[in-house]
Amino acid sequence: MCDRQVEKTIRLQEDIIGARQAGRDLARAAGFGTVDQTRIATAISELVRNALLHAGGGLCRIAVETTEASATLQVTVSDDGPGIPDIALAMQPGHSTTRGLGLGLSAVRSLMGGLSIESRPGRTTVVTSMTRRR
Amino acid sequence: MTTLAATIAATIADREAEIREAWFEQIEALAGRMELPHLAQSLRAEAADFLVAFIGALRSGESDLQDDGLAVVLRKAAEISAARARDGFTPSETAAFVMSLKDALLPVVIAAYRTAPAELGEAITGANRMVDALAVETFASYTRTREEIIERQSRSILDLSTPTLRIWNGILLMPLVGIIDTQRAQQVMEAMLTAITREEARVAILDVTGVPVIDTRVCLHLTRTVAAARLLGARVVVTGISPDAAQTLVKLDVDLSGMITRGSLRAGLAEALRLIGSSVGALVREAS
Ligand SMILES: Nc1ncnc2c1ncn2[C@@H]1O[C@H](COP(=O)(O)OP(=O)(O)OP(=O)(O)O)[C@@H](O)[C@H]1O
Ligand SMILES: [Mg+2]
Repeated sequence: MCDRQVEKTIRLQEDIIGARQAGRDLARAAGFGTVDQTRIATAISELVRNALLHAGGGLCRIAVETTEASATLQVTVSDDGPGIPDIALAMQPGHSTTRGLGLGLSAVRSLMGGLSIESRPGRTTVVTSMTRRR
Repeated sequence: MTTLAATIAATIADREAEIREAWFEQIEALAGRMELPHLAQSLRAEAADFLVAFIGALRSGESDLQDDGLAVVLRKAAEISAARARDGFTPSETAAFVMSLKDALLPVVIAAYRTAPAELGEAITGANRMVDALAVETFASYTRTREEIIERQSRSILDLSTPTLRIWNGILLMPLVGIIDTQRAQQVMEAMLTAITREEARVAILDVTGVPVIDTRVCLHLTRTVAAARLLGARVVVTGISPDAAQTLVKLDVDLSGMITRGSLRAGLAEALRLIGSSVGALVREAS
């Protein structure tokens, strides 16, 4: 069951603000604490910035699912850019093709506790989620 | 579409001048009620502009506001409501502007159909429907513009100049507010380095209390700023990292070991004074 879902198109720098604010709001509404809210917002910031920087834009979907026992917030960021040729390499801390710190993807993994990437030229989808017990 | 609808459209189109006069009166009254008499002029200009598109669409269409003609009018309505949103009109004031066309239109329609009471009912319904459609579109576009403005405002607040305050002899304070994208990071760095040179500062306090999200990009800019300041002989103390942000930062794995950080501005200032004090002490010792 999907309780709430928000979709944000990412085309400009300011869209990053909107996306992570939406993430923070959904996380708060789903009962995540302030530390988790900040982590979720930061992870969203990394992923949508990647979509903007490396693919020229994309779509960010944030969905919350609650059950009796838990609440899960899932972030899906997809783009139709060039794709990530070597996913394992891209996830490695310090690897960047754009003179960034190259820490974005590995940060998302440790902030959220997991990360999955599917990528081919023309379609990249990055999914990450965080679950809390109720 | 019935031919009757086409006749109604033609009837309205033929009375453009009358309708314009009536609408202007409505607008004058509206501006008065809103206590914005100075806006009456620009509202009138917009109304006139809009009416031309509206009547043009009525004339060109076989019937009432079809397809292309409708698209033109709706675009016009969207433009107008966007302008109203920028002028700070409330949604109901914006709607009132469009609905005032109805008040102008209906008496003219009623007068035109006085001799054909059988068709009057449909004529009124038709005119109502047109204006209602416009009002809906205007409102939707008003909302869109509002949202855009809010997003842009939240951004321009961030783009405010980045002040550097000299708070002590040799100590600068620079509060950072909002998102730090690459362009702004550049501004911040330049402003800070210029101020360090100008004030011969030994310590610069960079307060990030107002930065909503500290992600790897912000970290990158922070570390670069710290390194550049070092080259000018100044230390940077970063303050205002919230407990939540601190617990997030540790997960980013960014190497911040070269950076002096303090939780509060107060602690940062104490550290800055200590840094100055110790260097003054060292100077004195060297001199003696
Ligand atoms: N959506 C994407 N499309 C194409 N390539 C991508 C995408 N996301 C990441 N990459 C590639 O993976 C690399 C690593 O990404 P990561 O976010 O870890 O670091 P970064 O963006 O280079 O720097 P930063 O630390 O500022 O995030 C990028 O340099 C880029 O080459
Ligand atoms: Mg990145």
